[in-house]
Amino acid sequence: MMITGVKITLVLLVTTTISSLLLGNVIAIMRVSRTRFLRVLGNLYVEIFRNIPGLFWVLFFYFVFPELLPSGLSEKLNSYLYYPVIAGILGLTVDNASYVSDILRSGRLAIPHGQREVAISTGLNRVQQWIYVLLPQIYRVTLPPLGTRMVHNFKNTSLCMAITAPELTWATQQIESLTFRGIEATTIATLFYICLAAIMVSIIILLEKYLKIDISSITHSRA
Amino acid sequence: MGLLEQFSHWNFYLLGTYPKGEIGGLALNIILAALALSLSFIFGVMLGYSRLSCRMYIKYPCVAYIEIIRATPLILLIFWFYFFLPYLVGGNISIFWSAVISLCVYAAAYQAEIVRAGILAIPRGQLEAALSTGMSRLQAMKSVILPQAFKIMIPSFMSFFVSLFKDTSVTYIIGVIELTQTGIIISQRQPDKMLSAYLSMAIGYFVICYTLSHVARRLEKKIGIYDLESYRPDACRDEYMLLPTHKTGDEEEHPSRICSPKPEFRKDL
Repeated sequence: MMITGVKITLVLLVTTTISSLLLGNVIAIMRVSRTRFLRVLGNLYVEIFRNIPGLFWVLFFYFVFPELLPSGLSEKLNSYLYYPVIAGILGLTVDNASYVSDILRSGRLAIPHGQREVAISTGLNRVQQWIYVLLPQIYRVTLPPLGTRMVHNFKNTSLCMAITAPELTWATQQIESLTFRGIEATTIATLFYICLAAIMVSIIILLEKYLKIDISSITHSRA
Repeated sequence: MGLLEQFSHWNFYLLGTYPKGEIGGLALNIILAALALSLSFIFGVMLGYSRLSCRMYIKYPCVAYIEIIRATPLILLIFWFYFFLPYLVGGNISIFWSAVISLCVYAAAYQAEIVRAGILAIPRGQLEAALSTGMSRLQAMKSVILPQAFKIMIPSFMSFFVSLFKDTSVTYIIGVIELTQTGIIISQRQPDKMLSAYLSMAIGYFVICYTLSHVARRLEKKIGIYDLESYRPDACRDEYMLLPTHKTGDEEEHPSRICSPKPEFRKDL
C-alpha cells in the first residue's frame, strides 16, 4: 500500500510539475502580451486561482467538474478507477500554474528591453524571440522562486488524499484505520516527504550553479 | 437560481451554527488563522533570531526545526497532532485546539524565515553603530534592529497571513466545521445544487484573500522596501538571495530580489 502510495505521489509530482510549468508559461506570456484582452484574461485567471485554496480546486475537479460535463461523459469519468488521480492533477495544476505564471512574469519584467531589441534586430520573429532569447533568461533568473514553488507543489500533492486518490498520505490513513499502525506509517511518510523535498532542493541548487551566469552583465549591457 | 438559493444558507457559510451551536464557517477560518499567527509569532521571532546565532548548538536545532516543518505537508502535521497529541497530553483534546496547535507549529517555521529575512535586510552598519554606542547585542537587537526589521516584515506577514488563511481549509480533514467542510456538508445534503454550494465556498475565500492581498500590496508600496534594499551590503544580499521564499501576495518583489542592482533601462534607445 505504501509502495503504491509512493508511486502515485511521484506520478502526481511529475505530471503537475510539467503541466503547471506549461500552463504557467502560457498565462505569463498572456499577461505581458500587447493585446489588452489577453492581459485581462491572464490577470483574471491569476487573481481567481491564487485567492482560492488549492484544496478547493482539488475538490472542485473531483466533485463538481463531472457534473458540468454531459451526463454520458460524467458517468464514464465517475466510474473510471483513476479519476481521483486525474482530478488531483487538474486541481493542483490550475492552482500551481497561477503561482508559476506570477513568478515567470516577474522574471520577464526583470529582463531589460535591450534583449528584446537585439532579438528583433537579428531578425527573429515573435515566437523565436520568446524561445531563443527571453525564456532561457527568464528561467535562469526565476529558478530559486520557481524551485520553492515546485517543492510547495510537491507538498500539496498530499491534498489529493481528500478525494481518495491513493497517494502516500491516503495510504498512511488507510493503514491507520486498518491496522492501527498509524505512528509507523505516518513516520515513514513524513520521512519520505522530507527526503524528497531535500532531494528537490539540492537538485535546484545544483541547477542554479550549473546555469549560473553573471546577471549584472545582462542588466548593464550596452545593447 | 441555485446560487441565490444558497444565499439563504449564508449564516451557515459565514458563522456555522453560531448563535445556537458552535461557531463555524468562514468566521472559524479567520479565527484559526489569526490564532495560529498570533500564538506562533513569539516562537517565530525567537526561532528566526536564533537561526542567525553564531553558536552552533543554538543555530542547528533551529535550522533543523524550520527545515523539517517546511518540508512536511501541512496535512501530515495536522494528522500528527490529531492522533498523537492525546497521548502526549494524556486526555482528550478538542479538534479545534489540535488544529490550532498544528497550524501554530507550521506557522512558526515560516514566520522564522520572514523574521530572518527581515533582520538580514537591515544593513550591518546599523548593528555596528548600535554596538559601538555600548549596547549589548540583545539591546541592539531589541531597540535598533528589530523595530526597523518589523517595518520591512509587515507586508510579508500580511501575505503569509493570506496563505495561512487558505491553509486553514485543510483542517476540514480532521472534521473542523470551517468553510470547506460547511460547503461539503451542504452539497452532500443537496446533491443537485452542488455547483452553487461550491461557488459560494469559492466566493467566501476569494473575498477575504483578495482584500487582504491587496492591502498587503498597498502596504508594500507605502513602506517602500525597495529603497532600503538598494543600500543593503552585498554580503547580506547573497544570503538573502538563497532564502527559499514563501510568498503569495507580492508579485513585484521577485525581480528586485533576484537581480543584484535594480535593472537600469536606457531611456535614450
